[in-house]
Amino acid sequence: MKSGIQTRLILTTTIVLSVFLSLTGMVLDRSFSASIFAGAESQLRQVVYSLMGVAEEHPDGVRFASELPHPSLNQPESGLYAAVYNLDTSEGWRSPSARTTVVGFPEPSANLTPGDFVFSEADDGGVDRFFLSYTVIWEDPEQFKLTFHVATDQAPFAAAIRGFRRNLYLGLGLVTLLFVGAQLVAIRWGLRPLRTMADEVRDLEEGKRDKLSALYPSELHGLAQNLDRFVQHEQRSRTRYRNALDDLAHSLKTPLAVIRNALGEHNGTSDRQLVQEQLERMESTVMHQLTRASISGPTVVGHPVDLTRVLQRLVRALQTAYADRHIEVSLDLPERLIVRGDERDFMEIFGNLLENAFKYTGRAIRVSGSKTTETVVGIDDDGPGISANMRAEVLNRGTRADEIQPGQGIGLAVVAELVKVYGGKLSIQQSDLGGARVEFRI
Amino acid sequence: MRILIVEDEEALREQLVRHLRGAGFVDDAACDGEEGLYYGREYPYDAAVIDIGLPKMDGMALISVLRKEERRFPVLILTARGNWQDKVSGLEAGADDYLTKPFHMEELMARLNALVRRAAGYASPVISQGSLKIDTGKKEVRVEDRPVELTAYEYKVLEYLMLNPSRVVSKSELTEHLYEQDFDRDSNVIEVFVGRLRKKLDPSAPIRTVRGQGYRINLETS
Repeated sequence: MKSGIQTRLILTTTIVLSVFLSLTGMVLDRSFSASIFAGAESQLRQVVYSLMGVAEEHPDGVRFASELPHPSLNQPESGLYAAVYNLDTSEGWRSPSARTTVVGFPEPSANLTPGDFVFSEADDGGVDRFFLSYTVIWEDPEQFKLTFHVATDQAPFAAAIRGFRRNLYLGLGLVTLLFVGAQLVAIRWGLRPLRTMADEVRDLEEGKRDKLSALYPSELHGLAQNLDRFVQHEQRSRTRYRNALDDLAHSLKTPLAVIRNALGEHNGTSDRQLVQEQLERMESTVMHQLTRASISGPTVVGHPVDLTRVLQRLVRALQTAYADRHIEVSLDLPERLIVRGDERDFMEIFGNLLENAFKYTGRAIRVSGSKTTETVVGIDDDGPGISANMRAEVLNRGTRADEIQPGQGIGLAVVAELVKVYGGKLSIQQSDLGGARVEFRI
Repeated sequence: MRILIVEDEEALREQLVRHLRGAGFVDDAACDGEEGLYYGREYPYDAAVIDIGLPKMDGMALISVLRKEERRFPVLILTARGNWQDKVSGLEAGADDYLTKPFHMEELMARLNALVRRAAGYASPVISQGSLKIDTGKKEVRVEDRPVELTAYEYKVLEYLMLNPSRVVSKSELTEHLYEQDFDRDSNVIEVFVGRLRKKLDPSAPIRTVRGQGYRINLETS
């Protein structure tokens, strides 16, 4: 069995949601970290600028007043450190905060271009720090090349990122859960009619109900209706099969009993005739019932059948079979005459009716058809016709299996049965050609 | 008349053979479509009885192939299911008539005779030529309304000639249509039959000899 619709939908939604939300989380995380880094850099620049503002000239470079502009620079282990190097003399100055803490400022390097800020981060002896270096040419009174270094501990920034991250993933996780939950509810609610249908079909199987309830959403309405029709069709054909089998068994028993008795009495040659008669009776019974049982009837998904084509094929075929009778057939049919059902059933109806016409007509047959509110097919012949008081009997003859007489032809009985199944009408009239007119209406 | 039977049910096939032989037909019986096709291609038949449901190649396909290959002998199809779909398809494939199983042998014989006659262009079972009347249904021959007693072979020769009027029928053609396959073709039995026929049919004299070619019946329109 394949995985259920529910599982498929939930699986798809969950995968799509997780991928989408993870990507969102990653993007947000990255941009937040980037903004924190940028913040750290601009903060360090401010420190560099203010240091440069308070720097005092000194033969070896610069010196600072004891009170630096950032109080943190005066406090040991404050997390903010500064240093200034004279690249020419390698003399340097360190802020009071950097004197007790080991801070690995980048080595003085001649490659540093004056006027450039160089920002970096590094693991500085177990502590993550941001560094910013700025090289400047100090022109007064002599020309020095000085590099200002500032550093700050990453800890407060990392803590901010951690806090943001925690909130972000918590939020996203909650959203995911909410979405999946809502999806689950929507799917269960959306698929409920299907489950109801499954339950009702099971009830149908168990015979607890004989049709589906009519309360289905529009998408399932057609399916429910077709299912209903299918079930009813199946019930009808089952009934027909059962009846046909019952009739068959019933009507075979009589001739069998007659034959057995005759054989028991053993009366010589007269038995032969009797057995012959009974055999023929059995033969027609078997054929009639088999044909009856094979009727499809109006199908669930009604196929369109073009009666014009059916009638044309039958007439052509019968003209071949009755070639030596030189019967003139005129067809007065519209280009298409569509009814719904099984083509074989209509072949059976009109094959038998037309065959009778070919058998009993004189020289001419007319087949006409039209469709207004109902479809009408008439078959006229110029034969002897059927007298008014015989018409009903001809139509009813052989509708019960027991009444079929050998040689009488089972054709008309099958036709009557088929027409009944399709809810049509069959009537016999006087034809203007002089013979009989058989009219089929549906 | 040489008839091809293609029927896969052995019991029915043998019954058909027995009845056809009893009625003076020559026949070949095939038990499946392919064998039927072989016979149909090999011998000139006057008619065929073909079952629709056959192993190897079904009856409809067999008829279609035979018709495509210009075999024009009339074909009677047998259908077990008796539904019109089968009958129409069979007739559309090229069959000339249908019969639903089970059937009476008499019915089959009548249909077969009618088909052979129809193929020869006669509508009625009674064919006449001057004072000669031959009833192909009852197998009776009359001259000036007086019945003539013919042996089975004499009748067969006369009937074949009457059903193929206005053309020369050679002795070998007669042999092929009137005898089983293993018949000795050098025999001049045909000449003997024709001689005896002429004597029995006197005073009507329908059979002309075309020297070196065979025999011919002219149907004079009187």
